[in-house]
Amino acid sequence: MSKEETFKELADAVISCKKEAVDAAVEKARSEGIEPAEIIEKGLAAGMNEVGILFERGKLFLPHVMLAAGAMESGVSILEADMPTDAASKKLGVIVNGTVEGDVHDIGKSIVSTMLQSAGFEVHDIGRDVPLQDFIDKIKETNADMVGLSALMTTTLPGQKEVIEMLKEQGLRDKVKVMVGGAPATENWANKIGADCYAENASEAVTKAKELLV
Amino acid sequence: MTTEYTTRMGDGQRILMTREQILADLKEGMADAADLGEIPDLSEDELDKLVDIIAMPARMVGVEPGKEVPVTHDIGTIRIDGDQGNSGVGIPSSRLVGVMMHERAFGADTMELGHIDYSYKPVKPVISNEQQTMEVCQQNTIIPLLYGAMPNLGLYYTPDGPFQNPGDLMKAFKIDEARASIEGAAKHATRDITWIMKKMMSSGTDGINFDTVGAAGDGDMYASLHAIEALRKEFPHIYIEAGMAGELTLGLHGDLQYDGKVLAGMWPHQQAPVVAKAGANIFGPVVNTNTSRSAAWNLGRAVTFVKAAVKASSIPCHVNMGMGVGGIPMFETPTIDAVSRASKAMVEVAGVDGI
Repeated sequence: MSKEETFKELADAVISCKKEAVDAAVEKARSEGIEPAEIIEKGLAAGMNEVGILFERGKLFLPHVMLAAGAMESGVSILEADMPTDAASKKLGVIVNGTVEGDVHDIGKSIVSTMLQSAGFEVHDIGRDVPLQDFIDKIKETNADMVGLSALMTTTLPGQKEVIEMLKEQGLRDKVKVMVGGAPATENWANKIGADCYAENASEAVTKAKELLV
Repeated sequence: MTTEYTTRMGDGQRILMTREQILADLKEGMADAADLGEIPDLSEDELDKLVDIIAMPARMVGVEPGKEVPVTHDIGTIRIDGDQGNSGVGIPSSRLVGVMMHERAFGADTMELGHIDYSYKPVKPVISNEQQTMEVCQQNTIIPLLYGAMPNLGLYYTPDGPFQNPGDLMKAFKIDEARASIEGAAKHATRDITWIMKKMMSSGTDGINFDTVGAAGDGDMYASLHAIEALRKEFPHIYIEAGMAGELTLGLHGDLQYDGKVLAGMWPHQQAPVVAKAGANIFGPVVNTNTSRSAAWNLGRAVTFVKAAVKASSIPCHVNMGMGVGGIPMFETPTIDAVSRASKAMVEVAGVDGI
């Protein structure tokens, strides 16, 4: 079997969302002498990328993404013995994510948290209707690299701006990247309030977080 | 110099576009819908008609004579006295006054009585009050008056309800537990909606509106379909309207089925047949507005989706038109130029039966 075929087998195993299939494909790739980094990058991660695309197109859903991420994690753990100590467990970054005060919408924000987590970020989801000061406190507590601010109503959107102002007042703005999202948010709004990025959906949130933090 | 027309972005911002730019955006929006939903493109004639509608010189436009459709309002009874926080205009009045104003002053064809929380679950403790209000409203109006609210499965999860939040469980990789939680919540919601509507029917309600079906994902839709089925069985002549929350049924569970069909991932043209199968009289398709795209892009996309839903539906389609849906900008009080253009397009191009 060529390397490309092995990579496809690994990717297909991740897309199948089945842990057993991923474990078997990883063992097979190892036995063929393929480097762990290549197995992860060209096989497992490529599969996760495809899962992300299928999620974006409404063909796969959150439980499937979670199962695929779990299966990939299992595959990576098999490879840990062959990898340098910190390479296997290193997180891509720490992100605090929540829906701003006055806004009880939860689902979109939770999907973003889960997708970021599945992509390898350490995510601290602090819930919905979160007092703005709690964002600052959690950022300090976790030494976060990024904060995600969700708002689904035009009336709660200004909360995103207020958190940015609070970050400035606390001297944290240069250290912490700010991502905003939610139905009424736009790229223009993000620029206007001085956020680092706007993400239209969960897949884009992962892409933008990687661009800014990795 | 090329003529430019005033139109909008999806967030309501006023912009200028040429006919060529409008057509290009319409085509791009249409292509996005056709690709995602695997549905047909609009014809060249239909695209030309949409360009004409967007480029009309009047600030407000209307349908051609003879093409008028019924118009109903959902939360309208509290739109008068509600403040901006719930899309109202803050005029002190009662719900009865709200209903009567919509019937006698605004020309609504059907109307809905809704509770201030606008979800079914919180109606349970105040059911007697709702029944009494319905009776008084029925005594003072002649238009069909429905009772409506959101199925809102979210209220059955912690911290608002007895079931663990599937979002939290999912993040902890407890997928089976998350799915069990959704299934439990759906059963409770079906039971509550059915019980509430039995009470409301005894007070002279003309029907029920399920508003924002699927807002909490496929479990929400599952609960609603089973409630529709139960109500149709109990009340063969009840008028049931089911309006969706979004264009795509989100699969928070992922495997729930109705009539042998997986609910997750359904687009409007796939939602319509299952809603009809459950026993609804009216299907309300929804297409979400992208705030970063032009009104033309959004309208091309929305009309393509809704036209396919109308074609697939065996029951009348009353499209959801308002803030952030149906090609209308996401703006607290959507501008009349955008609302009237999008509505005209839905009637004359997508072929909807009502709004």
